[in-house]
Amino acid sequence: MKKRDDGDAEPGARRRGQGELEVQVLAAVRAAGGPVTAGRVRERLGGGLAYTTVITILTRLHAKGAVARERVGRSFEWTAVADEAGLAALRMRRLLDGEGDREAVLTRFVTTLPSSDEQLLRELLARADAEDEAPRGGEPEAGGPEGRGPGAGRAGEG
Amino acid sequence: MGLLVFLPLVLPLTAWPVARLAEHHLHPRTATRLLTAVAAVLGVCSTLCLALLMVVGTAQLPGNPLPDAWSDPEVRAVLPYDEIAGRAAIPALLAVVAVCGRVLLRHRGVRRRAARALAGLPDRPVAVLPDPSPYAYALPAATGRRGRVVVSRGMLARLGPAERRALFAHERAHLTGRHDRLLLVARLAAAANPFLRPLRTAVTYSAERWADEEAAVRIGSRRVVARAIGRAALASGGAGPAPLTAFAVAGPVPRRVAALLGAPPAPRAWPPAFTAVGLALWGALVGAVVSALASANSAVTLYAVLKAATPL
Repeated sequence: MKKRDDGDAEPGARRRGQGELEVQVLAAVRAAGGPVTAGRVRERLGGGLAYTTVITILTRLHAKGAVARERVGRSFEWTAVADEAGLAALRMRRLLDGEGDREAVLTRFVTTLPSSDEQLLRELLARADAEDEAPRGGEPEAGGPEGRGPGAGRAGEG
Repeated sequence: MGLLVFLPLVLPLTAWPVARLAEHHLHPRTATRLLTAVAAVLGVCSTLCLALLMVVGTAQLPGNPLPDAWSDPEVRAVLPYDEIAGRAAIPALLAVVAVCGRVLLRHRGVRRRAARALAGLPDRPVAVLPDPSPYAYALPAATGRRGRVVVSRGMLARLGPAERRALFAHERAHLTGRHDRLLLVARLAAAANPFLRPLRTAVTYSAERWADEEAAVRIGSRRVVARAIGRAALASGGAGPAPLTAFAVAGPVPRRVAALLGAPPAPRAWPPAFTAVGLALWGALVGAVVSALASANSAVTLYAVLKAATPL
């Protein structure tokens, strides 16, 4: 069955705010401007959260790669690595990489391409480009600078 | 009810021809809606009949909670092969319930996690994520939240301005058309009866085609949409699993591109009856109607027999 996300184990009320809580903690670390202890993060958040909660969320952010930590004496100091959008991207990547069925739920623009399809697709695009280059009074296209076959080919290998 | 009760279990086969032909002969909008509706009817009827069989089967089990009279010979007489069919229906229905439940849970889970991942970003129709890997998808509206298009910087960087507009138009077409609901129905139907799996595949594909054609209308060029799909797929490509059959037919992406580079689909909603697709379509519709009638008939018959058998 499905691999449980660490956030899924939390009880109902907390779970809904999980995403926002991570964002708030990350914002507090970012606002500190440099390495900061969990205690300072908690103060910056207004003290509404338990110390252990702050630690939990910082650890979670660390697991996602949104903050870095360094051991100083007996505790850690935390530094922000990503901003809010970066955190969203990291979380989204975890979802897209982890869930086998997400293709069926999130209608993605394109599905992954087997190698046989790749060849076929290149041929189709090359033919379309060749037709476009033949002078016709056809559709207005943003062809010019990027509408060439080799460029598309190189993008595919990266 | 006789053999009628078994009919809805196999009638999904009548929809196979149209599931195959719709791609080339029907407008994608028509194909998506029609195939989803047919799949829904066939899936519900098939499950209903399985439930009827299960009632008869359960009544024969020792120590079952149903009234003793339900295992009387009169009741068993309405169902041919009652011993085997009734018993087999029990695990079959349980499996259907389990698989459908799993589909629903996953659906909700992925949607919720996707929404949670975007928490903290401004609530705009488009969320651009700073991620070098190329992806783009539509995150459907949930309670209190609009539908959003989520796209990575990596994807945008690989597309020209016109192609980006094509991508956004495509994803927005998914959102405004609520394609996610149609896809969920098709997946539940396929979970209810494995014979409906070709319909799920066809619905998935035609929903993409539908969004492609909407995008083409919106930005005024089918060719730009084709190129956007091609570029995006080549950029994200390489990671896909190889098809199991060595000489498989082309996958969905090249087919979508080829369709966009070809002639636009005729807006005509209904094909003439005496063409292959016309016959296939009527076959599927007749199959769905027969399935509905057969399961209704079986349900009423069994109800009447059980009511007569139950001591007041």
